[in-house]
Amino acid sequence: MRNPLAVLTITAFKMYLRNRQVIFFNLFFPVMIVVIFGLINGNGNVSVSMGVVDNAHNPVSQIVLTQLRQIKAVKLTTGSLDSERAALEKGDRDVVVVLPASLGQGPVALPAFYNAGKPQESSAALAIMTRFVDEASFQYAHIQPSFTLNAQPVNSRNLSYIDFLVPGVIAMSIMQTGLFSVAFSFVAYKQQGILRRLMATPMRVPDFLMSRIVTYLVMAVVQMAILIVLGLLLYHLHFIGNIAYLIIVGFIGAAIFMAVGFTISGFARDEGAVAAIANLISFPMMFLSGVFFSLSNEPGWLQPITKVLPLTFLANALRSISLDGASLWAVRGELLGLAVWLAIALVLAIRLFKWEVA
Amino acid sequence: MSAITQAEEANLQLDTQGFAIVVDGLRKRYGNLVAVDGISFRVKEREIFGLLGPNGAGKTTTVEILEGLRQADAGRAVVAGIDVFKAPQKVKSRIGVQLQASAFFDYLTLVELIEMFAALYERPIDARVLLTRVGLEDKASSRVKTLSGGQKQRFSIATALVNEPRVLFLDEPTTGLDPQARRNLWELAQAIRQDGRTIVLTTHYMDEAETLCDRVAVMDRGKIIAMDTPATLVGNLLAKGFRRRQVEREANLEDVFLDLTGHELREG
Repeated sequence: MRNPLAVLTITAFKMYLRNRQVIFFNLFFPVMIVVIFGLINGNGNVSVSMGVVDNAHNPVSQIVLTQLRQIKAVKLTTGSLDSERAALEKGDRDVVVVLPASLGQGPVALPAFYNAGKPQESSAALAIMTRFVDEASFQYAHIQPSFTLNAQPVNSRNLSYIDFLVPGVIAMSIMQTGLFSVAFSFVAYKQQGILRRLMATPMRVPDFLMSRIVTYLVMAVVQMAILIVLGLLLYHLHFIGNIAYLIIVGFIGAAIFMAVGFTISGFARDEGAVAAIANLISFPMMFLSGVFFSLSNEPGWLQPITKVLPLTFLANALRSISLDGASLWAVRGELLGLAVWLAIALVLAIRLFKWEVA
Repeated sequence: MSAITQAEEANLQLDTQGFAIVVDGLRKRYGNLVAVDGISFRVKEREIFGLLGPNGAGKTTTVEILEGLRQADAGRAVVAGIDVFKAPQKVKSRIGVQLQASAFFDYLTLVELIEMFAALYERPIDARVLLTRVGLEDKASSRVKTLSGGQKQRFSIATALVNEPRVLFLDEPTTGLDPQARRNLWELAQAIRQDGRTIVLTTHYMDEAETLCDRVAVMDRGKIIAMDTPATLVGNLLAKGFRRRQVEREANLEDVFLDLTGHELREG
């Protein structure tokens, strides 16, 4: 136990685990994101909010309303045309359908207004309504439908939002740990004179750096494990990845962002400056790298930038490995990108990291 | 610095006998500022040696060079028998250092910190015995940030003692402490010297230097402008005809303060 590296590493772990702020940001924060985003986009249940303006007030319109209420995915409200249109414009309705006074007295057109700002929900609502109208037409005309759909549930590898999200959040938390933990702690050590005091002992500098690096790498693995287990337990995550590959890629990502953290601590004068710089780097990247949402909808001019961000490579590699069971060879493109970033980050860290306060 | 002849080299080697520190022609410059301007001095074994001087005189730079934390531009320094410039790491293992305003890791207890320091020297240690030595046995499981100013300084000294150093450097150890805590620290320093260690002390408090130090060196603008025992320096000044405007009374306000509040330490 007298080995300096071992003692420094154990000490670093104790400090990490006893620091509530760090634990919150590195462990609970990613967990919260997965839980909350998972709930919001919940289990593939699309629900549409439909407003019906009943101008008919006759038995036929009553039947229509009753049947609509039976559809689980529809949240039905009724009201006047003005109030329903106002609600639609406010974004409280996905679709507003008008049942004209002549309903039930021969062929009739049902005016429908939909929320152009919510294309997914309104198209789902319109599809429901179309099916409904078709069925009513068939019945009205006493026509037997030529085709009926015989739907049967099959367990397919139908990837859900949570499958997309979890590897992304893993990538994000690896980035956060590397950037913030390294930069914050080293700036604090320097500012408070802790490094200076340690340098007055025969401590070997590589031992000290290694003890911190080992700690953060292990924490990166712990983060991965927690998020994957959480996804499996709560949201039926479709995880088929090779864990060793996942760890290797995670380590490379952690190394990149730790090197960036060391770089930041080289020129940031205090913890406030660290927060500003680290947020400036990580925040845009969190959204530009497709951590939370797929990047396929972003404007074309942005794509050349987002494609080469280190977090994009990391998130995509983790995603391919976790969800497609990809091998390291299959993600060689991402690995190459990460290797280039690692080289850049290491050069910066070696050039800019300082033991003394700037 | 002129080249050292072999005879001088041998002479210097010889002269380190009985000395914990030998400094010869030490020089350090930052840009245009000459922080340490060719100083030479010797500190005897088991001596408490004071380094005095106004801010910016070069005290801390000098001490940091001797501690192996800074490189000098010229000169020689032998500390605890080791040439500082040739083997700074080896010097570090033989000295103890209490830095001005040094902090310690948060989230660790005093025992854990002491054990960590011991590991850096690759020495076994009973942390509680050491903490008892500096009167912090009750705080063994506390964290540094819960300590009072005096307790922090005593803890800092404890970390400087983990390797049983031959030379202990104390940089302004009593700055900001109340009179009780200062006296407590003086007693600790004297007890450490009783163990056979040499102490180099920097301070802005002349009463502290007078009480503790066997000899003091007064630095100004990078040079040593006086070096002797406190009594001799005072005697020299009086011999020049210096007289205080107001004759010292038998007691001063600090005596009043201690008489009123007692010598007992005031801390958790």
